[in-house]
Amino acid sequence: MIGARLALPLAAAGLLARARGRAATALHGAAVVGTLLIGLVVAVAAVRGTEATALGGVLRVDALSGWMIMVIVVVATLAGAEAPRYAADGRAFYALLHLMVFTMLLAVSTDDVGLMWVAVEGTTLASVFLINFERTRASLEAAYKYLLICSVGIGVAFCGTVLVYYAEVMRQQTLAEHSAHALRWTALLALAPALPPRVLEIAFVFLVVGYGTKAGLAPMHTWLPDAHSEAPAPVSALMSGVLLSVGVYAIARFKPIVDAGAGPGFAGRILLALGLVSLAVAAAFLWAPANYKRMLAYSSVEHMGLVALGLGFGGVLGVSGALLHVANHALAKSTLFLLAGRIRASYGSAELAAVRDLVAAVPFSGRAFMLALFALLGLPPFGLFVSEVMIFGAGFRAGHPWLAGVALALLLVAFAGLLRAAHRMLLGAAPTLAPAGALWPGSVPIVVALAALVVTGLAWPPGLADALALAAKVVSP
Amino acid sequence: MTVASNFLAFVALGLTLLLVWRQSWRGRVRLFVMQSSVLAALAVTLGVLARRPALVAVGVVFAVMKTWIIPRVLRRMGQGNPLRPVAPGRSAGLPVLAAGALVVVAYAVMLPITGAAAVGIPTRGALPLSFAVALIGLLLCVTGRDALGQVIGFLVFENGLFGLALLATYGLPGIIEAGAFLEVLVLVLLMEGVLVQIRREHESLDIDRLRELRG
Repeated sequence: MIGARLALPLAAAGLLARARGRAATALHGAAVVGTLLIGLVVAVAAVRGTEATALGGVLRVDALSGWMIMVIVVVATLAGAEAPRYAADGRAFYALLHLMVFTMLLAVSTDDVGLMWVAVEGTTLASVFLINFERTRASLEAAYKYLLICSVGIGVAFCGTVLVYYAEVMRQQTLAEHSAHALRWTALLALAPALPPRVLEIAFVFLVVGYGTKAGLAPMHTWLPDAHSEAPAPVSALMSGVLLSVGVYAIARFKPIVDAGAGPGFAGRILLALGLVSLAVAAAFLWAPANYKRMLAYSSVEHMGLVALGLGFGGVLGVSGALLHVANHALAKSTLFLLAGRIRASYGSAELAAVRDLVAAVPFSGRAFMLALFALLGLPPFGLFVSEVMIFGAGFRAGHPWLAGVALALLLVAFAGLLRAAHRMLLGAAPTLAPAGALWPGSVPIVVALAALVVTGLAWPPGLADALALAAKVVSP
Repeated sequence: MTVASNFLAFVALGLTLLLVWRQSWRGRVRLFVMQSSVLAALAVTLGVLARRPALVAVGVVFAVMKTWIIPRVLRRMGQGNPLRPVAPGRSAGLPVLAAGALVVVAYAVMLPITGAAAVGIPTRGALPLSFAVALIGLLLCVTGRDALGQVIGFLVFENGLFGLALLATYGLPGIIEAGAFLEVLVLVLLMEGVLVQIRREHESLDIDRLRELRG
């Protein structure tokens, strides 16, 4: 089953590279639905506590992987439903979109941290062309920066992975023949208490800087606002919604190993520092944004910072808050990027100054955009309110009242800036606009996503709390 | 084994410093090819001395990729580029000095691994040398004035990482090694596509012209 789940988007990518016209769109639709269904089946089984392995243990899906798979396939569906508006005749568009989904799914469902590295690097390569899909000067520049900075980042993560492997070698004092299990996460976790702590610490710094670049944590975030604002909307949705979280996931995988080997606290402190810097950088920009796609991109830096804080505070509460925040942010942000794409198509500009009287001008997209923006601000009844309360609760409980206080203040600055932007978009006289495209079928997933955000905010379905706790225990045993 | 690995890693570092000093991109590509050959030799040497046939194969693949395929792509990228990207008058002294400082940094960072108290495999003494190559590659990448210079810097960084992985582990498990090779190749080809388009748009690879996105 977990093999089939990976094979499907890969096969779809291969087929879509050759299909054209209506056949391509139909095939794309079938692949999106198939990926969603199989993904959900695997994910639900996993978050209920059934671990699955395949290919001799190379693929392994536990509760944490299950949670990520769920988020990935849901956002892939949202983005997939919107993709036909952008693909035009671009066969490569569909194919690369599915390839990107495949690499992300592979990254979160392998037990081998080396293969995880290969998959994360694969996400970069699959998405570069998509960022530059419109082939403007700005998108070209964004793609160049993205490719260069993320490749350097992933190189640094490679260095960290090698050092973890070296720590294992040092412990054995001899270089035994490679066992295929050498870089298995489960094996590393079991060995961790015996690994040399200083080497693990250096390795973790490399891993955080490397995967943190992919996760958009400041100060390694410089590629993010460009790439996320220049990419076509479905690609931005996938990148902001889940690709960043895949980077965080990779860091989270290494955290229990470092905690067990180098003592608790070290990894947490680094994550707290990066989280705070990310919040500060994002707040500084969000105070007065000029372009609403860049505004959404900087808000992703802010929210990844919050997730890093949750992981850094640690404990089951902090980590489950972080994981819930990953899901909530994925729903809200990908919806916002998709709607921002439509708004830009209507107004013909991504500048905030160009958008006036949003709700009257584009009724459905405007209202949905505002609702999703309120969700992103962390207002109840939406889910982000709950996950933020969990993260800050964990902070106060873990004995970091000052740090949590500063983070809250920074959050407030970003809040005010985003609210002001919303205000500007709502007021004024509507210009005459280009007619909006057909609403169906991209709009149904958007409504469902907004409803899901209310569900995670108001009424948790049975099993959600258990699933979160189970996934959190993987990171914070 | 220690002598051989130390010597080859040292030569690779020396070539990197020369590369920083050299300004013409053709010269830099030539030095990159020489450095890659040295690293391929390092892989083969370790493979023979440690009796790891797989490592010899890695060395051969590495040599084909980095001394033949990638340099060809680099020369295609550079077609028509001015030989020296910067206006004359900029001395190479400062970058070389910075690169020298990075060697010291590399030794400091790797201290817990190479220090007297540490134990491990015999080649560990050369780890800081390779790490320094990676850091200097990063420096070239950050300070590069044109896109081609940045790509060359990135490739030097990548070479340093390859050396590091070799010296620390005698080669990683096969699937990761293969994945890493494939990805460097795809990355360079993607880079070529991007660079060709940058040249078409801006009639230059000067990164100062990339200034659409700010704020």
